[in-house]
Amino acid sequence: MHKLYLPALLSLLVGLSPLAGSEALLEKHCSTCHNDEKSKGKFNLRFLGNEPDHQSLEHWITVLDLVEAEEMPPEEDSELSKSDRETLVAFVNQKIHGYQSASQLTKKSKPRRMNNREFANSLRDVLLLEDIGAYGITGDLVGDTLHHGFDTHGETLGFSPFHLEKYMAAIRKVVDLTILSGPKPEVKQYTIKPERIQKEQRAQSSKRAAIFGNKEFYDFTDPLSSAIFSDFTSAPHSGRYKIAIQCTGKGRLTFPTKYTGLYPDDPIQVSLHLGDWVKTFDLPDDKIFEIVEDCWLPAGTPLELRNPTDGLRQYGNGNFKFQYRMTPDYYEKEDPVRYQKMLKEIAGKIPAKKLGRKKPGNHWSHWVDVWDGPRPRIVGATIEGPHFESWPPETNIALLGESPDVTNAEAILRPVAERAWRRPVKDDEMKELVDLVKLSAESMPQVEALKEGVISVLMSPSFLFLNTEEMDETGRLGSKLSYFLTSAPPSPQLNEFLANGKLKSFEGAREYLGSAVKEGRADAFLEHFPYAWMELADINFMAPDPDNFRFYHRKSVSDDMVNEVLNFFRHALENNIPLPEFLSANYSFINADLAEVYGIENGPKDSRFQKYTFTDGRRGGLLGMGAFLTVTADTLSTSPIHRAIFVMENFMGIHPTPPPPDVEIKEPDVRQAKTIKEILSAHTSDKTCATCHEAIDPWGYAFESFDSMGAWRDVYSVPDATTGDESLDDQKRSKKLMSTVPIDASARFRNGTAYEDIVGYRTQLLTPANRDRFVRCFISKLLLYANGESPADSDFVEVDKILNISAQNNYRVVDTIAAVVASPLFRD
Amino acid sequence: MKTNRRKFIKGLGGAALALPMLESTALAGQAPPKRLLIAGNPFGAHPDYFFPKEFGRDIELSPTLKSMDWMKERITVLSHTDHNMVSGHGREVAFLSGVLPSEAGGYPDKNMSLDQVVAREISGGNRFPSLNIAPGGGVRMSWTASGVENEVITSPQKLYDKLFVNLSERERGVRKTMIDRDARILDAVAHRFSRLKKTVSKNDLERLDRFETSVQELDKALGSQRNWVDSDKPTYDLSKHYQEGEITVKNDYEAIYDMVAFAFETDLTRVATIAYPAHLNFSSLDGVNRSYHGCTHNGKKEDLAAELARIEAFQVEQFSRCLKKLDSIQEPNSEGTMLDNTVVLFGSGMGYGGTHSNRNLPIMLAGGGFKHLGHVDASKNGKHMPLCNLYLTMIQRFGIEREAFNLSTGTFDLSYA
Repeated sequence: MHKLYLPALLSLLVGLSPLAGSEALLEKHCSTCHNDEKSKGKFNLRFLGNEPDHQSLEHWITVLDLVEAEEMPPEEDSELSKSDRETLVAFVNQKIHGYQSASQLTKKSKPRRMNNREFANSLRDVLLLEDIGAYGITGDLVGDTLHHGFDTHGETLGFSPFHLEKYMAAIRKVVDLTILSGPKPEVKQYTIKPERIQKEQRAQSSKRAAIFGNKEFYDFTDPLSSAIFSDFTSAPHSGRYKIAIQCTGKGRLTFPTKYTGLYPDDPIQVSLHLGDWVKTFDLPDDKIFEIVEDCWLPAGTPLELRNPTDGLRQYGNGNFKFQYRMTPDYYEKEDPVRYQKMLKEIAGKIPAKKLGRKKPGNHWSHWVDVWDGPRPRIVGATIEGPHFESWPPETNIALLGESPDVTNAEAILRPVAERAWRRPVKDDEMKELVDLVKLSAESMPQVEALKEGVISVLMSPSFLFLNTEEMDETGRLGSKLSYFLTSAPPSPQLNEFLANGKLKSFEGAREYLGSAVKEGRADAFLEHFPYAWMELADINFMAPDPDNFRFYHRKSVSDDMVNEVLNFFRHALENNIPLPEFLSANYSFINADLAEVYGIENGPKDSRFQKYTFTDGRRGGLLGMGAFLTVTADTLSTSPIHRAIFVMENFMGIHPTPPPPDVEIKEPDVRQAKTIKEILSAHTSDKTCATCHEAIDPWGYAFESFDSMGAWRDVYSVPDATTGDESLDDQKRSKKLMSTVPIDASARFRNGTAYEDIVGYRTQLLTPANRDRFVRCFISKLLLYANGESPADSDFVEVDKILNISAQNNYRVVDTIAAVVASPLFRD
Repeated sequence: MKTNRRKFIKGLGGAALALPMLESTALAGQAPPKRLLIAGNPFGAHPDYFFPKEFGRDIELSPTLKSMDWMKERITVLSHTDHNMVSGHGREVAFLSGVLPSEAGGYPDKNMSLDQVVAREISGGNRFPSLNIAPGGGVRMSWTASGVENEVITSPQKLYDKLFVNLSERERGVRKTMIDRDARILDAVAHRFSRLKKTVSKNDLERLDRFETSVQELDKALGSQRNWVDSDKPTYDLSKHYQEGEITVKNDYEAIYDMVAFAFETDLTRVATIAYPAHLNFSSLDGVNRSYHGCTHNGKKEDLAAELARIEAFQVEQFSRCLKKLDSIQEPNSEGTMLDNTVVLFGSGMGYGGTHSNRNLPIMLAGGGFKHLGHVDASKNGKHMPLCNLYLTMIQRFGIEREAFNLSTGTFDLSYA
């Protein structure tokens, strides 16, 4: 708890002589290893100089961190007493604070371009669209490159002519599909008959004949293909369409779960895709359910239906062909009469010529038509449109008003520009826009000329860049907070809060955040921040081996793992839990698939997520999550180093230096019957490795009890002989001789504290020093997400202030975020 | 030479461009153009499978390079060359420059990659200054002079659309109108920005400057695009690569390499990079089930290492197939083939994914009229040669007068006829 009384202690010291003998303490306890001849860990005490300056600051901060965590001096060589340590910490802290209060280095973070999702949302709000998804623009933009998982990092996002070119095309496309001209298109009625619903193979291009539904219905016979309406593949004109689709769920319980992977309490689902806009519906068994949507579709929006029902990939690696093996396998055993009947049916259906030398039922494709397992069924649909409230349509009027005349250009474009630039627009800026419109009007119709004005507004850096100086302080805060929480421009609620001056204080920020979380005005943050922080985009970059972790692939468990993180994070904010609970919680949010991976028998029985309390002390919170354990593991093996680095960088805010170029790293050898500790013995025996690795490795060894997908294991299993025989089926394969090697998940931190296993490790992360590291790291990640760059060393003191406010509020997560929002580091 | 060529093309009018290269150069009576083709991957190569066991020209090639056997006297495989980088992913983006994006500020050309250095000098008169192809998105090997990643062409279809799809007469009219409109908007935006700039602090300006250069460069690009709108593109049959009815990594790459070879032949471009990205799915190859990245972390398990070697051999096979094609085309006004006038490089910015090492990169050079050396140990006194030395040699081969390139300490000794 020293952080709490430090400021008080410091104020006592001001005016007194500097902490007596602190330099001597440094000299006495550090110089044996960190001197001119020997600079262990590439650190020499001389680097500090007498006072911190812009060069030495980072060393002062590292010293503070390591001495505070009792990791330096290392336990075995240390004679530093507890009180001397406190004196030393106070001394280093005072030096850093003294330097920073004198230098005032805090600089405004640099502007950055919007990332693609922010761009799409902003376009939606500026152009007053109800949704941007159907326009399908994100796929045409230059992809955003991630920086340690974050899609908000300014330097990494970059800006180039290629970005600009794609922005121009996307903006033009959306404006053209929204501001309409020409004659009003006629309303048409489309009645979709099931025999005109066509199966689309997404997995591969196929030269096979098109497959349609029959007179009564269209069934999804596999989970990978989608269905399109041959008479309405896409919207012919922009406008509102009324869509009604009648569908039902069939065969949900035909096969037991062990065949299909579909849990008895899970529904059959169907999803409607309109461009990038997607909505999923639960279908009742055998009763007709009608999907009804009334929405604006830009011309060309493709309409497609898919089958996202859980499971159905229990055979093989989820390849659709193997799904049909299910039918003969099951019926041959469980209902031989029916099996014979089906074979006859197949024989009757397939012409002998097509059958060739195959017997009926001997090829996967024979079983497609007799599939009676879980499947969504479409029985029909009607679509009517395009409808308009008026002509020119309401979308024109919203943007260009009732009289879209070049003479009104200023009045028309000002509100558009103010929304787009998120600030008042100056008269001379307006004049330039109006000039462009007038110039354009010489060669095109008035509405077209006004569109050029709108496009020009959106091509401005004032729209494309966030966090520029043009805004006043309030405007910038509003914009930053809005993009932070919603990835979109400020909403009316936020502007009201700003206008009342309520966001000036920590308390005001806390109130706003609390309500935003509860009222769904922070959903983008609740999704994208934890996704970035936990680097979830990489979860399948090195997915667990498909042969050894079949369940992971067949049930797409990585999706569940991602959802566990998102559910936990949402719970944390909705309940404003203390941050240390992210690490110490004995609960998480899991469904039946995760229960299977985690080896839990009394857990959830379907794919819905439920809060679950673990009783073994091994799981709960971030450290026990499959997402973290998988994203840090190799395909076949696990690496305590990868996991250690992840914990250090993403939870503790420690950034170990990578090994020097001349170090030859041995490739892991999974064939050996050796423990990872034996394999990594160089980390302790070789001195050049040891200096860094004794600080790194203990952060990771505890996780050795979890395999590549995060399942618990007591021993490593090593195959005895070569096992590349692919002809063995699952059962034979598992009978192969395996030898086991016990797991040693114990380690000792540099400060002397040791742990036996993950249970002990978890308690180590809650020491005051580690707790502060975690909270500080969380603060730093929030600032990276908000500012597009991580706080600098020179922001140390300001981050410390946020940490103090967090501490005074029991480290509660919403309070901590509020402290960030209230900090000058957020407001510049 | 480049200005001459451009004038020449303009003077002839659009139709001439539809003719294959052979005729247009013959008309011009010029020396044959030099070209550059680079193929790269993000994970390097399994060294046991990549590097031949012996040094010299008359040697047995390694399993990964087996498909180069037909021209093994005409390649240079370099052992012990790299950019002296520490281990780990993310540094392979420096493959073609030796400079990481984060350090680009310290270099006059930022981290501009080899292909762009060459393209800037030789591609002025071509419809496409360079092509940067990476199915599904990138290895991030091509970087422009302003330190931003070059535009990536992410599928064979998109490459086809770019290179070979012609607009109808009406569409050409619309396209020109739209380019004019876009250019007018850019003018307005640039004008507005030049005033905004005066009120902006140094801190903000650093990033906003990129906006300004982007506007200028896009404006220039639009100008060039407009000039080309009325010229016909050559025709190409993409469907011949997809006769089996299934899209596999093999027919995708055959299509890509063939289109690039044809783009060289018709002088649509003279510089191309082709990547084998990390997320590419190789499982349609015989003997490959796992992800590319997964195979690199094979833990020395023989079957998995063999799976990786299969993927890497495939990459070289496709490369080799393309070289064979280039070698079958006689270059007009020249003794040699198109391959003799095309400098080709295969390699990676990573040494070997299994160890995360970025030392001893797998590098193979061919073509370009060089007198090739076979397998060479490039190290001196136990020290690895900076790969930029080889790049400098390659740059000079294009007649570009440069004494140094990023980390170079000299050139790599390689003569040419």
